Amino acid sequence: MAVQQRLSGAITSLDGVIGREEHLNAPAIVVRPDAVQSVLNRLRSEFDHCACVTAQEYQDRFETIYHLRRYDEPTTELSVIVPTTVEGPHSQSASAVYPTAEWHEREAYDLLGIDYDGHPDLRRILLPETWVGHPLRSSYDQEQPQIVTLSEHDNPLEDDRALGSDTMVINVGPHHPATHGVLHLLVTLDGEQVVGVEPQLGYIHRCEEQLCQSGTYRHQIMPYPDRWDWGGGGLLNEWAYARVAEELADLSVPEYAQVIRTMSAELSRMLSHFLAIGTYALDVVGEFTAVFMYAIRDREQIQSLLEALTGQRLMFNYFRLGGVAWDLPEPREEFFEGVRTFLETLPEKIEEYDDLLAHNEIFQRRCVDTGVLDASTAKSFGCTGPVARASGIDYDLRRDDPYGYYESLDWEVITASAGDNFSRVLVRLREIEQSARIVEQCVELLESWPAADRTIQSNVPRTIKPPVDAECYRAVAAAKGELGIYIRSDGTDTPARFKIRGPSFSHLQALESMATGEYVADLIATLGSLDTIMGEVDR
Amino acid sequence: MTISETLAGALGLGAVNPLEDFVLSLVGAALVGTFILLNTAVAGPWAKRKITAAFTDRIAVNRIGPFGLLIIVADAVRMLSKELVIPEGVDRPAFDLAPLVLVASALLGFAVVPMGNGIQLADPTVGLAFLFAVASIASVALVMAGYASNNKYSMLGGLRAVAQNVAYEIPLVVTAMSVVLFTGTLQTSEIVAAQTETLLQLGALSIPSWYAFVNPFAFVLFLAANMAEVGRNPFDTPEAPTEIVAGFQTEYSSVYFVLAYLGEFIHIFLGGAILATVFLGGPAGPVLPGFVWFTIKIWAFFLFTQWCRSAIPRVRVDQVIEIGWKGMLVLSFANLLLTAVIVGVIV
Repeated sequence: MAVQQRLSGAITSLDGVIGREEHLNAPAIVVRPDAVQSVLNRLRSEFDHCACVTAQEYQDRFETIYHLRRYDEPTTELSVIVPTTVEGPHSQSASAVYPTAEWHEREAYDLLGIDYDGHPDLRRILLPETWVGHPLRSSYDQEQPQIVTLSEHDNPLEDDRALGSDTMVINVGPHHPATHGVLHLLVTLDGEQVVGVEPQLGYIHRCEEQLCQSGTYRHQIMPYPDRWDWGGGGLLNEWAYARVAEELADLSVPEYAQVIRTMSAELSRMLSHFLAIGTYALDVVGEFTAVFMYAIRDREQIQSLLEALTGQRLMFNYFRLGGVAWDLPEPREEFFEGVRTFLETLPEKIEEYDDLLAHNEIFQRRCVDTGVLDASTAKSFGCTGPVARASGIDYDLRRDDPYGYYESLDWEVITASAGDNFSRVLVRLREIEQSARIVEQCVELLESWPAADRTIQSNVPRTIKPPVDAECYRAVAAAKGELGIYIRSDGTDTPARFKIRGPSFSHLQALESMATGEYVADLIATLGSLDTIMGEVDR
Repeated sequence: MTISETLAGALGLGAVNPLEDFVLSLVGAALVGTFILLNTAVAGPWAKRKITAAFTDRIAVNRIGPFGLLIIVADAVRMLSKELVIPEGVDRPAFDLAPLVLVASALLGFAVVPMGNGIQLADPTVGLAFLFAVASIASVALVMAGYASNNKYSMLGGLRAVAQNVAYEIPLVVTAMSVVLFTGTLQTSEIVAAQTETLLQLGALSIPSWYAFVNPFAFVLFLAANMAEVGRNPFDTPEAPTEIVAGFQTEYSSVYFVLAYLGEFIHIFLGGAILATVFLGGPAGPVLPGFVWFTIKIWAFFLFTQWCRSAIPRVRVDQVIEIGWKGMLVLSFANLLLTAVIVGVIV
């Protein structure tokens, strides 16, 4: 906070700053639409992480908010608000300062129709080029049919042939054995070498933000975060919503519930990491690899535990605002026994993965020094989570912006410095071990928790109506990285704006710089090492 | 002894005239071909699944018939009843020929392999050279498939297959030559016969002079090059499903797919047969008949390929080529020179 105070005077006096506001998570400055670049340029040295870009519509204006924070001190935050007119909204693009803003602004253009001056490539990103209208605008007609005929789609292959070039364009996805979901990479190849990669998003855009904006805070939103990660990290995503909504509505969470949340969330992280490692082995080893089946076998055990706890195997819907849905399953001893048994067998399993992957010479030849992402590039694209940590960025919101019960537990943030595919896999393997440590400590705490003191949920009003114009961006360390949610309240029981920041969205942006110049095989391996999940990219 | 002589003996015909020889050879060829196809039928739909499952803690096919064996029938019906899709713009007849060439080249190889108990279709004096020659025709089939499919993934797969086969064919043949230096002949039956002597007597256990024991270094080299030839992990780059979908196979469906798939399996068995003939004493072995030992040996190689498939990562295409040209080639020539010196000085 000290930095913030030191800055506040200097920031508000910057040329182009026309006002000040207060968000629940951070102070905010209002910037003239034509001074965005100059202001952000001055701020870049203090705030090196453009976490998210939110665009929204008010009655009298459109607004773009750049959520800035620091990698080495994420609690130092600043929101930069850029208001623009209702008619022909346009403001300066931030992509020259923060490359990660490029895709975020394309999304804002796509969904709200704000033009960004100086943007290098302002096209739709989630919806097809032929879409009519901007669906998040209040004037958008939802009844209007949108029919896109096949002939209206451009065919990049024909251009390619017409040019008679030495390179060839190849479509990796949306149906391909290695795209980890319906991702479409438009890859330009020179022989076996990659000249360019352009991810095409939006194949499973499900209007998640719109859906959340039409649900009530108390119960109707919580099921959605599970649907942003079907790799097993659902509980972590639920926590992202719980965190921001609890702050917005000023709800407390009982300590007992915090411990349960921490334990179940870490089990969820292990689910996700096991899947990431298993599918990565598929990408590098081949489709008949033992590692994949081992990973599925080990996930199964965690999944049984979480099923006993939440009643669900994938879409958990277990967190509630102010706590969790229900207490541990009875008999408690049996549940603890199950967790213990799993944790006891884990070290030898990890050793097996180490033997099959990390210690394998061919695996090393394939992964060491391929798909290198250096720390500064990672920062410029807003990479977080294991991807950032493998590039030597010591950034973990569980420690740096503490929530839940993490602060009171003994665990470490895993980092590596090489930033290559090998480091990313290794970081995930080691993070599984750390998650196990956390779970073990939680189990100990829960075992000895006095029966009279087991409150699983605080008193939460039947209808939650946060104050008018309360705004908050909060993030948690989800399995893939920083999963942030921005909510603006308008005093009703549904959010006026619900913006989701999926970590994989940023990671995919970095793919091109990582894979260009490498072989096709490395492109696939690099994509796999990012552990993207399209649920949080397309939303 | 060739198969026509064996059959004539079994039928009590005595000396045969050329016409009878021709007919008996055809019958023999049908028998051998059926045997090989039977092996691939067991290997493809059933054994491969069972073996991979065993490596990965699963059960695999166990619903239809004893041990799930009838899955072979079910799969055959399933594959044959699928629609044969010929994509627009494919280059016919190359597209149609490729799967046939792939299967034929592999089957042809078995013509000169001595399988024990007098089962050998032909025994030309250039047997080993013939074996390598027909086995490498498969590369032509892969290029045909890759080029004719009018698909970029197929093209990449076809190109990879050729680059890989060229890079590994040379070490393969050169390593086999080091064995020929010992035997002094290319005739497969002679190569097998030369491996019957005892190399070492350890009490009751006598180790035969199989070239795998005489020159283990050459054996390992040959085994590695053979893996690349049959395109299995760590050298399955021509298919590399997670990278280039299915390589040259991408556009093949129904019967063509079965043929392409079959061709690959026959190639694995042919690889095993070459390995057995050149390095493992052919059909030699104690107690059991030679033919059974031969079958065991080719299945052992099949098992080995599946083991590698489950456990060993795939090397990248440039690494495949690098290992081939910079590693295997040099080592195989070193092996050849060394063997030549040893054979020249000692034998």
